[in-house]
This record gives sequence, C-alpha cells and structure tokens, in this order.
Amino acid sequence: MKTIVLGVGNPILRDDGVGVHVVKQLKQHINDPNVTIDEALTGGMNLLDMIWGYDKAILIDAIKIKHAQPGEVKRFLLSDFSSIHSYNPHDVTLLEALRLAEKLGEDKIPHEIVVIGVVLEEMPLEFGEHLSPMVAAAVPKAVEMALSELGKNLNKSRWNKDKLT
Amino acid sequence: MKTITIDPITRLEGHGKISIFLDAQGDVANAYLQIPELRGFERFSQGRRAEDMPQITSRICGVCPVAHHFAATKALDDAFNVDPPSAAKKLRELMYCGYIIYDHILHFYYLGGPDFVVGPNAPPAQRNILGVIEKAGLEIGKEVIKHRAYGQKITGILGGKATHPVCGLPGGVSKGLNKDEVKDIETMTKSCVEFAKFSLKLFDDIVLKNKDYLDIILSDPYTLKTYNMGLVDKDNKVNFYEGMIRVTDQKGKEHIKFDVKDYYKIVAEHVEEWSYIKFTYLKDIGWKGFKDGKDSGIYRVGPLGRLNAAEGMATLLADKEYKRFYETLGGKAVNSTLAFHWARLIELLYATERATELIKDPEITSTKIRNPVGEPGEGFGVVEAARGTLIHHYKLDKNGLIDKANLIVATTNNAGAINMSIRDAAKGIIKKGKVNDGLLNMVEMAFRAYDPCFACATHTLPGGMPLEVNIYDKNKKLYKSVKRNI
Repeated sequence: MKTIVLGVGNPILRDDGVGVHVVKQLKQHINDPNVTIDEALTGGMNLLDMIWGYDKAILIDAIKIKHAQPGEVKRFLLSDFSSIHSYNPHDVTLLEALRLAEKLGEDKIPHEIVVIGVVLEEMPLEFGEHLSPMVAAAVPKAVEMALSELGKNLNKSRWNKDKLT
Repeated sequence: MKTITIDPITRLEGHGKISIFLDAQGDVANAYLQIPELRGFERFSQGRRAEDMPQITSRICGVCPVAHHFAATKALDDAFNVDPPSAAKKLRELMYCGYIIYDHILHFYYLGGPDFVVGPNAPPAQRNILGVIEKAGLEIGKEVIKHRAYGQKITGILGGKATHPVCGLPGGVSKGLNKDEVKDIETMTKSCVEFAKFSLKLFDDIVLKNKDYLDIILSDPYTLKTYNMGLVDKDNKVNFYEGMIRVTDQKGKEHIKFDVKDYYKIVAEHVEEWSYIKFTYLKDIGWKGFKDGKDSGIYRVGPLGRLNAAEGMATLLADKEYKRFYETLGGKAVNSTLAFHWARLIELLYATERATELIKDPEITSTKIRNPVGEPGEGFGVVEAARGTLIHHYKLDKNGLIDKANLIVATTNNAGAINMSIRDAAKGIIKKGKVNDGLLNMVEMAFRAYDPCFACATHTLPGGMPLEVNIYDKNKKLYKSVKRNI
C-alpha cells in the first residue's frame, strides 16, 4: 500500500505552516519506500495532483474550529467534512476536485484521506517562519498521530520517542 | 439600518467578507468587501539574500507563485543591472504562458464560468465544475483536466517544479530545454490552442447566444467606466511578461504609458479605515471616492483591463477574437465587468498561440541562458499576473542583501473597482430588503469576474478561518454553524 503524507500550509506564514514543520520532523522517523512525505503549499486541484495514485493520503494542516483549544491535534476523515471551503479564492476545494475526478471515472484516487489538524488560535496575518509556543508544542503530538496513522506504533517500534521533541 | 453579511462567500473564502448596508427602505445604501491583508513582508525580507526573493515571494501566494517568481526575478535583473540573454527571456515567457494557461482554465471552468454555464440563478451547490460537466458533458470535463495539467506540466518542465518554480535567476534562468522536452511541450501547446478555441466556442454557444446572459453582461449594475491598465509590447499589444505599462481611458484612448520605474510617480494609494487594502488610483486624476468616470483615478487591471489598455493581441487567432470582442460589445472600451470572462478566454488563446511560437523558436534550446550580474542596487520588476499587473520593487545593500522590498499586487490595483462593482450589483439587485440566494450570487459574480486573490494565502484544506465557519460534520450539529451551505 502506498501512502503519501503531505504537510499543507505556508512555511512563511507562521502557524499556518505547522503542517510543514510536522512533516519535516516526520521525515526523520520514516524510511519506508511505500511512504512518501512532502510539503504542499497549494490548494485543491494541485493537492489532487499530489495525492493521485496513492492508496492513502494523510494531510497535516493548520485548522481552526470552534470548541477546541489552540495546540490540540485532531484527526478527521476527509469524508467527515460535507463542505470545505477553499482557503484561497482562486481554487476549488479538494472535495470538489475529488468529486470531479470520481465523476470522470478516475480510479487513482486514494481510498482513504485522513486529515490531521493542529488547532490554531488565530489565523496568522503576518509573515514569519516561527510557530507560536502553543502550536510548536503540538508538533510532536501531530508527528505521533501521523506515525500511528501510518501503523507505526511508537512504543513497539524502532522509532525513538525521545526524538519527538 | 439593517445589515446583510454574506459570509462566507462561495468560492471566495477565507478573509473576504462582504457587508451590504441597507437603508430604511431596505435598499442598498453601501457595500464593502473587507479584507485583512497579510502584513510584515518588508520586515520579513529585510537582510535576506536578494537571490532568494524569487523563491520566497513565490511562497507568498499559493495562487500566483509563477507571477511572483518572475516579478522578483525581473526586479533582480534590474537591481543587479543585467539584461538576460534573449533565449532566457524566451524560456521565461514560455513558462509564463504555461502559468496563464492553467490559471485561466481553472478560473473559467471551475470558478467564474459556472455562473454562466450552469446559470446565475442555479443553486450554489450546482454552480461549480460538476455543474459545468452536467451541462457540457463528461468529455469536456476530461479535456479541462487534461489541458489544465498541460499548463502545469509546461511550467513544471521549465521551472523545475510546477507550483513553486526554482528557475529564475538574476540575469537569466538556471535551466534550458532539451530536444525531448521541446517535443513534449510542442505537443501540449498545440493541443492547448485547440482547447482554447473550443473554450471560446463554448462561451459563444452558452453565453453569447443566450440573450438573457448578454443582457446581464451589458446591464448597468455590471458596468464600470474606469481607466484600464496593462503591460503592452512596442505595438501596444497585450504582453504578460514585459513591456511598458499603458493606461487608457473610458473610451480606450491612451492616457499614459510608462516604465515600471515610474510607477510611484503615476500611481498613489488611498487608505480607508474599514479596509486593510490600500486603494490605488492615478495620481494625475486624483482620488474622488468610489466613483467611476473620467474624473476618478480608479482603474482596472486583469484580463479586461489588459485588453482595454492594449490595441490588440500579438497572435493571429487571439487578435481576431479581440476584434470580435469589441465588435460584439459595442467598441472601446468595454466597461462590462462580466466581460472579464470572455477577455480571459481570449488571453488563454493568446497564451497557447504564443507558447506554440516560442517552442518552435530555434533559440529555445540555446544554452546561453544567463549573463553575469553587475553590482547590486535598486530594481523594479513587473509582470501581468493572471489577475493583473504585479510589481516588485527592491533596494539592495552593497552585499546584495535586501534592504527594502515592496510588492504591489494585482488585487490592490483592482481593489477600488471591485468594491464599486459589488456595491453596484447589490444596488441593482437587492430592493426593499428582498434577498435570496440567487440574488446574492449576482453580487458575488461582480467580484468573481476579477478573479481576485486576496490575502495571498495558500491552501485549501482545513486551515485558518474558513474552517471555523465553513466546515461542518455531518453527524454533529455543532459544526453546522456554517453561515452558508454550498
């Protein structure tokens, strides 16, 4: 089974780039030809291009939802969302892109798309490369969740939990 | 005063929020689009190596990475006082055509087009690419996907990476083309020309032959008589990659033509307390509020602005379409906001034809693709992003580090006009407080035509504010705090 893990976000827009920070750490723990890890500073149609041909996609991204504390890490299935709006005005949502591909009879779409969301306090509006303390503290949690999503149970595995800091 | 807020806006999510203010009678008093702008770019850039700017700025925005990449690269050419070899310019322009191809296809078929192809009164859930395919057929869907991907591939082959190019260097490009790549690109551009022709025919059949749609396009609420701005070549034809910036008036007459270095002499910025976006206007005419007409310095950029600011297209088929555009819509200038969509398709055809010319050029495989740079100084770079004129301006210190950086993005140039278009559409459509979803869509159509790119933010998935208002879980009512379902 081929899996792709994508850190989605903008690495120069502070907390927005948390997904990119997570996959950078994740890369140090994974050495498996069936797992691809990449960064995605992009939206719906391009995301579809990137996950094309994989059996499973794990998308790690900044997220802002009600009733959750900044720094929490949440797991969703893409199918949990009945509506995801494109962040940027010049793109379609990944859901829309996927529905289009399905409609056209494409069979190279991942069977499962998991979203690991790191909850933000505020959407950053100022450029910068660093994460806020609360979001930075969530990075190891997100890495751990991604690893367990990949079926790598940390406690039993060769991955050293101490590295996850 | 009753306030109607459209939030979130279908397909214009994130930071954009429209507030429509009604008067006591329930008619529109005013309408504003509020956009928090990303801040701190100048500080972020300060002290960085100048040659990193094409990569950094391509990360400002997930929408126009190629446009930022080349505005930055050109600003560096200027700052390092170097003129790239002719082959390098051609490679850059070819890559730029790839970007215009995928960007314009995406907008027409996925974003702007659904309003027309599916119909302005159709429920929002149908006004998307799936609705377009329902109406136009599955085969068309496949062609759309294929040709958008071609645009991406052309950009990817030349740029090293499809989304965030790494090829632009001061004085040239880092990578040339080999014969196999030329062959691949040639096959793709040929196919893209046919697809662009097909798209114009589709627009003809579905939009122009429908009197109702044509009436909407030409109606008052969607008319704005502003000045127009765009890059032109020496013959005053539309050019995306280089040339002079030309401004024409409401009748298509040249008002001024200038080099990007003179931008600050020609254009000034107006600040409104309710918006983070600064509103640009022509200095010599002045800021007269959100008004159109000869006495107001507001201008438009983007596909319609470019066509109006030029005297034609530099390729055969696109130029024919250009002429037909003005014949059909009543001569110059075309001031109908919704004509942006048609203009966009004419530009798509131009980009495909121009790419075909460039790939056939014997010089395109030249290995002389970079000239040595001079001493660091100050530089301006201008390109036409898909959505309008984009300018980068840097001051470098003696070590080649960034001292000052300023970017004037397309949507800033269009901000005044976008606000007016929203207000006018709202005025024409919302009467006595009567609002339904179809009506709101007419307001959205007004700004969607501009293909605006607001906070230059990046991604689609759960992230940032849109999730807060837009996502809901099918099983949990909690998430149904969406303000509008699509």
